[in-house]
Amino acid sequence: MYYRVLQIKYFKPRTLEEAIELLTKVRNSRVLAGGTDLLVDLKTGRVSAEALVDVGAIRELRGIEDLGDRIRIGAATKLQELVESDVIARELPLLRKAVESMGSWQIRNLATVGGNLCNASPAADTAPPLLAYEAELIIVGPRGTRVVPVTKFFTSYRRVALEEGEILKEIVVRKSTWSGWSYIKLGRRSGFTLSIVSVAVLASTRGEVLEDVRIALGSVAPTPIRAYKAEEYLRGREVGLGVLERAAEIAKEEVSPIDDVRASAWYRREMVYRLTLDALKTSLRWS
Amino acid sequence: MSEDPRTIIQRWLSAEGYIVVGRSVERADSLDKALGLAKFVEDFFEEGYLLARVAISRVPHARILNIDTEPALRIPGILKVLTYLDVPGENQVGYAIPDQPLLAEGKVRYFGEPLAIVVGRDPDALARAVEEVRPRYEPLPALLDPLEAMERTDVLVHEEFGSNVAFRTRVRKGNVEEGFSKADVVVENTYRTHHQEHLYLEPEAALAIPDLENRVTVLATIQYPHLGQKIIAKVLGLPAGMVKVVAPYIGGGFGGKDDEGPLVAARAALAAYHLRRPVLLFYTREDSIQIHPKREATVIRYKSGATRDGKLMAIDVTIIHDTGAYANRGPFILWRATMHASGPYVVPHAKIDGYCVYTNKVPQGSFRGFGNPSIQFAAEAQMDLLAEELGMDPVEFRLLNMLRPGSTTLTDQVLTSSVGVHEALRKLADYSGWWVKRRQYRVERTGRFRRGIGVAVAWHGNSTSRAVPDWSNAYMQVARDGSVVVYTGIVEMGQGSPSSSHRQIVAEVLGCPLEKVKIVFGTTEAPDAGATHASRGTSVGAIGILVAAGRIRSRLESFLSEYFNVPLEGIQIRDGKVYVRGEPKMSWEELVTLAYSRGVDLSSTGYFFLPKGTFQEDIGRGFAYPAYSFIAVVTEVEVDTYTGRVRVLRVYPALAAGRIINPEAVKTQIEGAVIQGLGYTLMERLIFDHNGRIVNDNLTDYVIPTSLDVPEIEETIFVEDLWEYGPLGAKGVGEMALIPMPASIANAVSHAIGIRVTELPLTPEKVYSLVKHLER
Ligand SMILES: Cc1cc2nc3c(=O)[nH]c(=O)nc-3n(C[C@H](O)[C@H](O)[C@H](O)COP(=O)(O)OP(=O)(O)OC[C@H]3O[C@@H](n4cnc5c(N)ncnc54)[C@H](O)[C@@H]3O)c2cc1C
Repeated sequence: MYYRVLQIKYFKPRTLEEAIELLTKVRNSRVLAGGTDLLVDLKTGRVSAEALVDVGAIRELRGIEDLGDRIRIGAATKLQELVESDVIARELPLLRKAVESMGSWQIRNLATVGGNLCNASPAADTAPPLLAYEAELIIVGPRGTRVVPVTKFFTSYRRVALEEGEILKEIVVRKSTWSGWSYIKLGRRSGFTLSIVSVAVLASTRGEVLEDVRIALGSVAPTPIRAYKAEEYLRGREVGLGVLERAAEIAKEEVSPIDDVRASAWYRREMVYRLTLDALKTSLRWS
Repeated sequence: MSEDPRTIIQRWLSAEGYIVVGRSVERADSLDKALGLAKFVEDFFEEGYLLARVAISRVPHARILNIDTEPALRIPGILKVLTYLDVPGENQVGYAIPDQPLLAEGKVRYFGEPLAIVVGRDPDALARAVEEVRPRYEPLPALLDPLEAMERTDVLVHEEFGSNVAFRTRVRKGNVEEGFSKADVVVENTYRTHHQEHLYLEPEAALAIPDLENRVTVLATIQYPHLGQKIIAKVLGLPAGMVKVVAPYIGGGFGGKDDEGPLVAARAALAAYHLRRPVLLFYTREDSIQIHPKREATVIRYKSGATRDGKLMAIDVTIIHDTGAYANRGPFILWRATMHASGPYVVPHAKIDGYCVYTNKVPQGSFRGFGNPSIQFAAEAQMDLLAEELGMDPVEFRLLNMLRPGSTTLTDQVLTSSVGVHEALRKLADYSGWWVKRRQYRVERTGRFRRGIGVAVAWHGNSTSRAVPDWSNAYMQVARDGSVVVYTGIVEMGQGSPSSSHRQIVAEVLGCPLEKVKIVFGTTEAPDAGATHASRGTSVGAIGILVAAGRIRSRLESFLSEYFNVPLEGIQIRDGKVYVRGEPKMSWEELVTLAYSRGVDLSSTGYFFLPKGTFQEDIGRGFAYPAYSFIAVVTEVEVDTYTGRVRVLRVYPALAAGRIINPEAVKTQIEGAVIQGLGYTLMERLIFDHNGRIVNDNLTDYVIPTSLDVPEIEETIFVEDLWEYGPLGAKGVGEMALIPMPASIANAVSHAIGIRVTELPLTPEKVYSLVKHLER
């Protein structure tokens, strides 16, 4: 064959400490998880690196656990493992639904949940559900361990709150009960597609009153976002079509989409309204 | 017995009871392809061969002052940078008009135009080098809109022509003013269709090996090896005999490798010529999308009128094709669009004007359907609109005006036979439940999800147009062990003609076992059988094979008749056995051994020159094509009025393409074309920036359907309206199902939402903007 495999230094440490050391010491090195974003970016030149630190063999970064009051997901857990996990199906159905829609079976068997978050695409499909669940991210680096709420993780376009040498170790979601949820992804085709707009909603009601609600949106701003104002408006209100429409209207004002090859900003705004309304209705079993 | 091609064609057209033909025999290539053993161009690359890539223009329009190759040559591993100055023969390679250089000369006319060939050892060095080829330019204003380009003469894409209109076509039939004055209803609209990228699995590549057999041998992704040979010879200034071109298995062509194939082959040959070493020239996916020609983008103004009782009276059509920087095959594409502008209907008065317009964009090129999907989209929308004005059902209205045996076409050509479209549509309407669904969906047209059902019918001329010569040929040899080798210039790009129908025809006509037949395809060592395009791989390509086999068959029959002293009628060769007066006498292998020992010539060729008529170009009148294939497609859709998403639920095809030689192979062609047509209609879209650069030149941003988008494609209704010259009566199939898809889907969407669609693609955004006001 005439293709050359990528000419780059490659490390596969077995422990987190080793990995952090490599990242700090080896010049211009980067974390490699499934490589489904990184290898494409290295090929096109959007990202440059001289060394890759493959975190796939680090035990602590793998696996899904039910810890009673919370769920722990290792950052290097494959997306397909999430799809097939009973724990995820039972406790985080919103996340499962979103992950199911990602890529293809082949991609899901390589790609990791941590890679999806750290890659920081506005279209990252695990972001809206995790934003809605208000997951906590456990980050380990040369200066120790810190916890960053996912809501503070995406700082600006394609940037995340990771410092030099830091690795996302795991994602922790506190269990909570929601009476309804919904994930809607609108793409350019029926599957294997990046979103034009995606919406994740969690809702809990007492009687007719919306006790709590979370709305997260993808592909409509420089980062995945929460529609806090819409949530605020809804909290404590009695469910009614007018109320839901008003909330969707507010969500539409909270986004800042752009024109790109997938769709125009105008259409995205329209869809934020429509899909937020739709996702709210589904979560509230309202028709 | 006769060796005369017509007698042979006639005999097998009307033969009774085929043994292999009409059966879904397994393709010769399926196992190798499933196992990954089938070899494509780059699989022939060997250690030590050199690599080459094409450096492209990154401006849309500029005069070239000079091309500095030094920076690229300074990169380690780069051996040579070739520009037009290095072409020993002719640099001019335009197909229809001599307007296109192999490597840019004088000017660059689109972003993506090949400027230079960079040769080296290492793909990474090549990737850097293509960025380092630095022309000095004098920038020129870029024309990106064909309507604007048509009007302007201050900026010319090709100064030497004095106009941006590269080519014109016309039809003048009857008197349109009179026609419209007799019409009770008249509808008029402007339609717009867009480019489509072929996106074959295998991007372009060519491996040129100098001095093999003392000549240059080129393996290429090419749909017509003999044309590649001609162009390479011209570029290198060599006699054609010094050039051998072979198309191994090709990973999809769809017309794209008919245009780009010979040019890629010539660029590789040029590199090998200079370096005297084997060179593999390859396009990356991005190169492929930027460089090679695309399906035509069009603006079509269409006016049509009909009488109260549903008779189509007149059409007045203006067709504008954005042909991009070079005419390429644009004039032929426009010609085909023009002569098919009426759809498969009788129309007494017609005025059609076609304009092929230069712009500073990627050239327009051959793509499955060749100008026909866009014009049928317009024509079939008009048929729906007329039916609606008349208060008639769209199928009923079409049937009233449809071509039948004996009808006269748009160009005044009388079609005496092989016109099965009326029967096809009639059967299709019943089969698809049209009559009920069309009314039912309209009544139910409320709520968020709305269903629609649409119909479109299309016709497609077989062979080359007018009196443009077309022929078929093949060379055949029966080896002493009874195996049969056939050489054809037709290529195997996945369509299956060499792998299925060709073998079946040989086995049928010789009477030998199917396993004995080997087809050597895609090589200039075979007789020139024309290109593998225009759905002709079987319909025309196999005529030569039929004739060659028919000749050997009749020699064997004459021999057997003499040998057994029985009249010819008493001799039968079928399924690998010889029967004399119904008695089995010997096997095929025994027959061949015997024939060899008794002086029977078991090698043959099968040249056949297709009879054609005359055509008056100034008024577009006369013999347009020797035969037409027909197709009707009913499509059911569901439109989500909330988001604008269209789901195609079911597609019902009915095909009138003569004899069906391999039903399974035809089915795969129909399914593939339906999906490719669906992608084109619903989601595929090239986006150009202000520099005429294609922004979405990768698989993330240019989307095509996946299996999740594929609708139920119901069993096809076949109407076997035999063509007198077709092999066993077969006509072309490959392009057919794509042609009516845009129209069929658009008509169904228009039915679902009650708003006429006139522009493609029907992305969620486009449909949403149409239905936005329909709220609730
Ligand atoms: C064909 C295809 C289809 C796709 N479809 C979708 C889709 O539908 N939805 C979607 O959201 N995405 C999609 N993607 C994008 C991609 O698959 C996902 O974003 C995936 O989850 C990335 O994970 P990965 O393990 O492959 O990350 P990698 O490519 O290995 O890494 C991505 C980035 O994150 C960093 N990183 C990875 N892990 C860590 C860590 N633990 N700590 C710190 N930094 C880390 C890397 O350094 C790199 O910058 C698709 C990609 C392809 C190629």
